[in-house]
Amino acid sequence: MADGGKPHSVLIVEDEDNIAIALDYLMTREGYAHERIASGAEAMTKIRAMHPDLVLLDVMLPEVSGYEICQEVRMDRALDDVKILMMTARGSAVERRKGLALGADGFIAKPFELKELRTEVRRLLGGEASAAEGAGS
Amino acid sequence: MLTRLSLRLRILLFFAALAAGTVVAVALGLWLGFRQLGEPEALSAFMTAGVAAGFLILGLVAGIWFLFDENVARAIERLSGSLRARAHAPIEGELDTKPARYLGDLAPAAEAVTLTLSETRNALAEAVARETTRLAAEKERLEALLSDVPVGVLLCSQDHQLVFYNGHAMDLLGAGAAPGLDRRVFDFLRKAPILHAYERLLETDDPDAASDLTCATVAEARVLAARMRLLEAEGEKPGYVLTLRDVTADLAAHAQRESLLAEVLDRVRRPAANLQTVTGVMTENGGVTQDPALRTAMAQEVASLSRAITELGKRYDESRSGWWPLSLTRAADLAEAVRARLEASELSARTEAEKLILRCDAFGLVALLSDLAARLAREGVARKFELAISEDGAGAVIDLAWQGTPVGIGRLETWLGEPLEVGVADVTGRSVLFTHATECWPEKLPDGRARLRLPLREARRDHRRPPPIPRTVVYDFELLAKARYAEIAEAKLEDLTYVVFDTETTGLLPSEGDEIVQLAAVRIVNARRVEREVFDTLVNPGRPIPPSSTEVHGITASMVAEAPTIDVAGRQFHRFAEGSVLIAHNAPFDMEFLRRHEGTIGARFDHPILDTVLLSAVVFGQLEGHSLDALTHRLGITIPEEARHTALGDTVATADAFLRLLPMLKARGLNTFGDVLSEVRRHGRLLKDLNA
Repeated sequence: MADGGKPHSVLIVEDEDNIAIALDYLMTREGYAHERIASGAEAMTKIRAMHPDLVLLDVMLPEVSGYEICQEVRMDRALDDVKILMMTARGSAVERRKGLALGADGFIAKPFELKELRTEVRRLLGGEASAAEGAGS
Repeated sequence: MLTRLSLRLRILLFFAALAAGTVVAVALGLWLGFRQLGEPEALSAFMTAGVAAGFLILGLVAGIWFLFDENVARAIERLSGSLRARAHAPIEGELDTKPARYLGDLAPAAEAVTLTLSETRNALAEAVARETTRLAAEKERLEALLSDVPVGVLLCSQDHQLVFYNGHAMDLLGAGAAPGLDRRVFDFLRKAPILHAYERLLETDDPDAASDLTCATVAEARVLAARMRLLEAEGEKPGYVLTLRDVTADLAAHAQRESLLAEVLDRVRRPAANLQTVTGVMTENGGVTQDPALRTAMAQEVASLSRAITELGKRYDESRSGWWPLSLTRAADLAEAVRARLEASELSARTEAEKLILRCDAFGLVALLSDLAARLAREGVARKFELAISEDGAGAVIDLAWQGTPVGIGRLETWLGEPLEVGVADVTGRSVLFTHATECWPEKLPDGRARLRLPLREARRDHRRPPPIPRTVVYDFELLAKARYAEIAEAKLEDLTYVVFDTETTGLLPSEGDEIVQLAAVRIVNARRVEREVFDTLVNPGRPIPPSSTEVHGITASMVAEAPTIDVAGRQFHRFAEGSVLIAHNAPFDMEFLRRHEGTIGARFDHPILDTVLLSAVVFGQLEGHSLDALTHRLGITIPEEARHTALGDTVATADAFLRLLPMLKARGLNTFGDVLSEVRRHGRLLKDLNA
């Protein structure tokens, strides 16, 4: 839970519907308030409007890449507290390094284990137990 | 028959005949006188007179013979030896006429002849030297050009003997110090592909045809891509040129790529097929079966697929840069090249490079970095840059920094997708990054600066540079037309290949445990010493070196501590001397040291052998001194003091002495190896002939 008892908010920026469905399902089960958009071009407007606690950001997006969104978020001081977890199918060490250098707080390579994603999301959201913790997964 | 005897022996025989004749004449005279006198009691007086006269005559003849031998026969031998030496070798200095002082005008006449010969030779030499200098300068330029050719080049005769090789070929063939002119190319490269290509080209009958082949080295089984082209030759089989390139790494990379691809297919195909079957069963008849066994099967196959993709993807990323032919470049050179490019575009750059050797495509990186700087300048972001190359884990990182704000990653990605001005189509910043399996991104620095960061995966500290490939070419084009002999005894002396060698040892008694501490050799091909084919090594004798020996050759125990032992050094020397006639000064001494170790070396030193002590005796007579100093002095060869009693110094002196003895042997009618062998055997009491 975030401060004030409200659930953490998560924005999923992912253009692939199948993985987005799975992420939606997982975030719901974890008890996070979440939304999903498929377009990189609309991502910044959405992030500013929603001001999520965490952005699950795919790198390979059409029009505007995840790296660009990440850099833009980090250049906006008003979004300093927004955490970014980047996801990519190209998970080489140098890609990870690039993502972290551009301001990502975490980097996860696809395909990933759900357990791995869940651990990473919890770490970024302050290690608090989610609403669904203990309910099993 | 008498002409085959030496002058001194003939004179001795002459005096013996004179003495015998005189004694017989006196005896006959006395006998006639006794018969005429007719008094038998006078016999004893006649006998006494005869014996006294006989002894007197013998003594007188022996005395005169001795004086004659000393002042005439030996003087003539010495004078003729000196004349012959001057006739066949460029010996400076006055003729020593003192031994010939009783030969009347012969010595002054010989002196005049040698003086005139020397003057004529000097004048001729000067004219030749002028022309030679001009040709040598051209030759040097040509050699420099050829030595810089970045592929191995071999030129072989029709008999597949090496006639030319460059430094890269030496490196590729793994031939150690030098492959060796006139050696069979098959000593270094496997035979079959070369013979096939040669036959193929001969059959085409097209002088411009070239044949590509793949061959492997004998020594290290390196795989070389080669191209063969025939030389022009009239009426006989031609020689050929082989250009060589090491493709071992290319093939390894190719094999690695192929193996990874095969593994990807193998590991993905099975779970994918299984998944299709499982999901097919689960969704059969329009519904989704919730059978736990099917769900478990599906989860297992998905996990297997996911694991395979993750592992293979990681391996792909790790090995990707190894698939490109990247070269080693000093970080400072790369930084300097970027700076030069920026300054040419009126941009300023301060560079700072750590002492690193980078594995990279320097040309591509310079083009990329200068392109990025130029774009930043065009966008008005910066005109002054700082380029830093620093160590970064197992690799390095290149930072192009400026004062101001970082460039947007989207903008950077656009730039990276556009062609670079390198004169080659399809080269973009992205392709350069792909080649290096890396990325490039902007960063904001806390001090108000920004930078572009580009990591490189492989770099090492520039502490020890690998030994450079010798920039040299070695050749003798006359080898293309060299005669070959079935029997060595029939071979002309100048057609043989010789390896002249010398050893320094712990002492003079190999039978009492003395060992070699230094071994040096040079090669003589086509009657010329090949300057760049030198074998020279210290040898660890495995026992102490007595101070008295160190005093002679200057080699101490600490100098040989890291040197190879005789089994290794002997094997290398045997390889160096393969197919050659061995030459040494006092060969039995050196050969005994080597032959004792044939077992551990694993090779027999059964080469034909010549000994310069015996050759000196053949040319100058047995009574002359035949030490190396005496021989080289007679032949006008100077051994530098610092080289004397070093194995290499003495070897070079022996080789040069042999080359000066060659024409003298020929002038004596000794043209073939067999001729020389039968002649030196006559001097067997001086030294043992080792060719038994």
